[in-house]
Amino acid sequence: MKAKKKSNWSVFRVVNGLIFIILALIIIIPMWKILVDSFDLKTAYGMKLWPEKFGLDGYKSVFSNPTLYRPLMISFFTTITGTILALVISTMGAYVLIQWNMPGRTFFANFLLFTMIFNGGMIPTYLVLRSLHLTNTLWVVILFPALNVYNLVLLRNFFEGIPASLFESATLDGCSPMQTFIRIVLPMSKAALASIGLFYAVAYWNDYTHYKLYITNSELYNFQMKLRSVIMGSDMPQTAGDATENTVKNAAIIVVILPFMILYPFLQKYFVKGVNVGAVKE
Amino acid sequence: MKKTKTKAPKQKMSGKKLAATIYRYRGFYLMFLPVFVFAIVFSYLPMFGIRYAFTNYNGIKDPTFVGLKNFQKMFGMANFWSAFTNTIVISITKLILTTLFAVVVSLFLNELVNIHFKKVVQTILYLPHFMSWVVTASIFSLILAPTSHGLVNTFLVNIGVLQPDKMIYFLGSEKWWRFSYYLINIWKETGWQTVIFMATLAGINTELYEAAAIDGAGRWGKMRYITFPALGNTILTVFILNLAKVMNLFESAFVLQNDAVLGTANVLETYIYYQTFNSGAIPNYGYTTAIGLFKSLVGCVLVLTCNQWSKKVRDGRGIV
Amino acid sequence: MKKKLVSLFLATAMVAAMAGCGSDNNTPASTPASSDTTSNSQAESSEETPAAPEVEKPESITVMIDGTVPTKENYGDEFWNKYTELTGIKVNVIQPDHDAYYDVVGQTIAGGDWPDVIILSSTYYAGYAAEGVLWDMTDAYASSDLKARHDAKAGSTGVVDSLRIDGKLFGMPATHGNGCVTYVKQTWLDNVGITSVPTNYEEYVAMLDAFTTGDPDGDGVNGNTFAVSAAGFAGKEAPYTNYLPEFYQDAYPSFIQDENGVWYDGFNTDSMKAAMQRLADAYAAGYIDPTTLTNGTSDCRNKFYSDEFGIFTYWAGTWANNLKTNLEANGLSGDLVALPPIAEVGAYVDRITPAWCITSSCENPEGVFKYFIEAMQDGGDVQFLFTYGVEGCHWSTAAETLWADDPDKAKTYGEGEFHFLPNAEKPTTAYTKAHIDPMLALVDLEAPANSVTETAKNAQELFNANCKSAFIVPTTETMSEFNGDLTTLKNELIAKVTMGELSVEEAYAKYEADGGKAWSDAIVESLNQ
Repeated sequence: MKAKKKSNWSVFRVVNGLIFIILALIIIIPMWKILVDSFDLKTAYGMKLWPEKFGLDGYKSVFSNPTLYRPLMISFFTTITGTILALVISTMGAYVLIQWNMPGRTFFANFLLFTMIFNGGMIPTYLVLRSLHLTNTLWVVILFPALNVYNLVLLRNFFEGIPASLFESATLDGCSPMQTFIRIVLPMSKAALASIGLFYAVAYWNDYTHYKLYITNSELYNFQMKLRSVIMGSDMPQTAGDATENTVKNAAIIVVILPFMILYPFLQKYFVKGVNVGAVKE
Repeated sequence: MKKTKTKAPKQKMSGKKLAATIYRYRGFYLMFLPVFVFAIVFSYLPMFGIRYAFTNYNGIKDPTFVGLKNFQKMFGMANFWSAFTNTIVISITKLILTTLFAVVVSLFLNELVNIHFKKVVQTILYLPHFMSWVVTASIFSLILAPTSHGLVNTFLVNIGVLQPDKMIYFLGSEKWWRFSYYLINIWKETGWQTVIFMATLAGINTELYEAAAIDGAGRWGKMRYITFPALGNTILTVFILNLAKVMNLFESAFVLQNDAVLGTANVLETYIYYQTFNSGAIPNYGYTTAIGLFKSLVGCVLVLTCNQWSKKVRDGRGIV
Repeated sequence: MKKKLVSLFLATAMVAAMAGCGSDNNTPASTPASSDTTSNSQAESSEETPAAPEVEKPESITVMIDGTVPTKENYGDEFWNKYTELTGIKVNVIQPDHDAYYDVVGQTIAGGDWPDVIILSSTYYAGYAAEGVLWDMTDAYASSDLKARHDAKAGSTGVVDSLRIDGKLFGMPATHGNGCVTYVKQTWLDNVGITSVPTNYEEYVAMLDAFTTGDPDGDGVNGNTFAVSAAGFAGKEAPYTNYLPEFYQDAYPSFIQDENGVWYDGFNTDSMKAAMQRLADAYAAGYIDPTTLTNGTSDCRNKFYSDEFGIFTYWAGTWANNLKTNLEANGLSGDLVALPPIAEVGAYVDRITPAWCITSSCENPEGVFKYFIEAMQDGGDVQFLFTYGVEGCHWSTAAETLWADDPDKAKTYGEGEFHFLPNAEKPTTAYTKAHIDPMLALVDLEAPANSVTETAKNAQELFNANCKSAFIVPTTETMSEFNGDLTTLKNELIAKVTMGELSVEEAYAKYEADGGKAWSDAIVESLNQ
């Protein structure tokens, strides 16, 4: 009986592995075209398995572009500061929202939910940001996206799963809310922090809407803004002479994806079973 | 359980007692302060603009009050209601499909044993999210093309499902457009959505699994009695949160549309875009605000309805 | 439940409170009133000195520009410093991202801090002019030297006139709008044995047929090519027919004026029906790329570069050279014939050009007109700057070798030989202009030798000799109400007829049934009022 179960299990493991190999292939095929084209000096419309005329000119063109260094630094700066700030305020907000007995909790919850559904529109938002002197500064791209109610609610959802007994014992030990938050909540939520932190980081890194709407000084543009113009530039035929070669365009698309290819494997250790429990037992 | 516990004493609370409770929670109020300030500054201050919905305002002359005229204009557009239903159907189907796929993939991903294989697979799965929609659209119009360049059609011809002269124009025919649209969305967003579900799975207390094992539960049993209920919470939360954005569907539909399929593919935002684009006039922000307000109200109704329903399922707790 | 209601109410009340205080603080500055007063005072002062009103030179100008003027990364600072050096006027530049330009223009106008000068596309030009944002430069232009310079060059006055609204001028074009010409691959013509390019539709169809059924790409297989491709069957914006002109010919699917100035809808004419039939026949015969409907412009270019089709209607001028370079990079012949319009087409269409406008809040519009708008086309140093840019940044006459590390690409220039320098953002390509394309200028300027490639120049000259100007369609209340639905319906019918899903008769029956005819009639009526 037990042996049979075990062999069933290994059959499942093999099948499961095979399914994921096929799935990964399906996901890769469309991206393969971009990868091949980015190394191919010959422009082709159709799909190819390998580059016809291999060359690194596309990547050379992207990386030898001296106007990209500053935007890259700006991207790093805004992504790091923004993600930290966003995580700090969102986790604190989410923690407050699980205080079920706190007077005004429901009001706060609706207060936040309301901002997710209703907004004032483009012009009023601009006018507010302008009157706060945030336009044309990096503050606007760091502060504006820092409170994302969607992410905050997901965090709240994770915090909800922390056993109530831990909070009770912390309170009995005389911990203040902030102490409980730092000693219990944060270590118990490594997977949550990793995933929501990733969400914020990706939002900051990929942000271009806030840049293009609120910043007219191109010295403050980030990497994404720059590469976007390389990728999109070829679709504006009227601006004659700005023909971006196909190879360069595809190289730029790959370069946009690259940081996430590197980043994710590092985060994955936080997506393993039991990552949270181990933390508290320390 | 929790609900009855918490509500009963509160309702009887006297003023003095309330003050005492608030004082006891003072630390928490302080912690909420940053969130509060950010919400006020970046969300509530600009909301003065909602009143533009009832005015004519082009950003040059002062707004003039026109009552509900903008809404009348919106509802009066010839194809408004077909665009509205298209949005609801396409957006919600897409949401259900991508969530479903993400959940299933996460569950099976969680069972992968080889850690390196798992890392590679996970990274590959989530990469399409980082490609812009414009690029995605141009790749898929190639892959789905009804010519020898189109991988899908070529494959279908090779396995004998299709005749070579009867290739399907997936993105160019009204019959196939939505199907293709869902497929592309699943391709692009499944991996990204698994991130949140994988985090939930990682957060499950391992002691629960150990206890279940002692009770004699097998792999399937554990999945059914522990993994799935834990995921359920997250699924519901993600689903309801995304409902708020249902009406905002724009870019993905816009880049995949073409002249021949607009009957099934035109969603509210793209419909409004074509209206404005072809009107030859500078934008009337009053009108666009009215449309925004309408979309918000629809989102509000969807969220509140589902939240109400989720409270029934989840012991009286909504998503926030 | 009650508690929830209360909290919801509280939240709403807060919103209302916010809304209240927000609106007090943030009401956008009302339309700058200064415009009236300045123009009044100017009128007075000109009465005092009736002879030649002395135009004061502005000290500084704020300009709002899109990405068609050198950006900071492309030596924008050097560009404007050079302008200051030439004119003595300081320039404050507001240059938003090209993609979001009109969003930012809308925000800036609403914010109340209007720039002095703003560059606008035809649609926004007409809209902002109607709302009184733009200064009326009709008189300033009429008495200016610029007008004389435009009169001196054939075709220039027509471009200026295309921006007139009821005779009034609110902006100045700096160039022709440019448009598309049809390019045919010479090798394809040779391979199918066509010795003279088609001059009428019959010969054109014969060429399509040879390119489709024969072996024009010379790979030994007959019928694995198609003749022509485009991004969609109808263009997204006016002039809608410019990517497939040989099929549309005299048909135009939107509003147009007859010789008496009466507006009508070109879609309702028999020539449109005939055009749709031509498209359908050509599509059924396999002459037109089967994925035309879903093509993007870059898809088309890539197909052209990989020799999938041979006839491509695309932008004249610089693009002729781009197409050639890319074909050659792919190991193909870059020899392209720019086809003179076939008899039925008559002329290619010149797009409406963007306009340089002065806002009505500008304190010294006459001065800005004279020292900025006029100077830009002075036929001298300032125009040279706006055309070629700054020496050492955009161009050079020093002896040097560019792209020396790539033997295929390397170009060596002798001392004193004018050449453009590599683009700062795309170092593998060189600049071709600063703002004004030398081939499209409205005022003659002594051009340095070799500033334009022969290929580009030939294509542009062919276009300039064979084009007609597009025109601004005024917008009406009825137009903004119906034209969105109407255009969507028209485009759907054109696509479906072309792809054989509907016959022309069925299409027009659907056009009536879906309300298209009624919308069209209502718009025509409003235009003719």
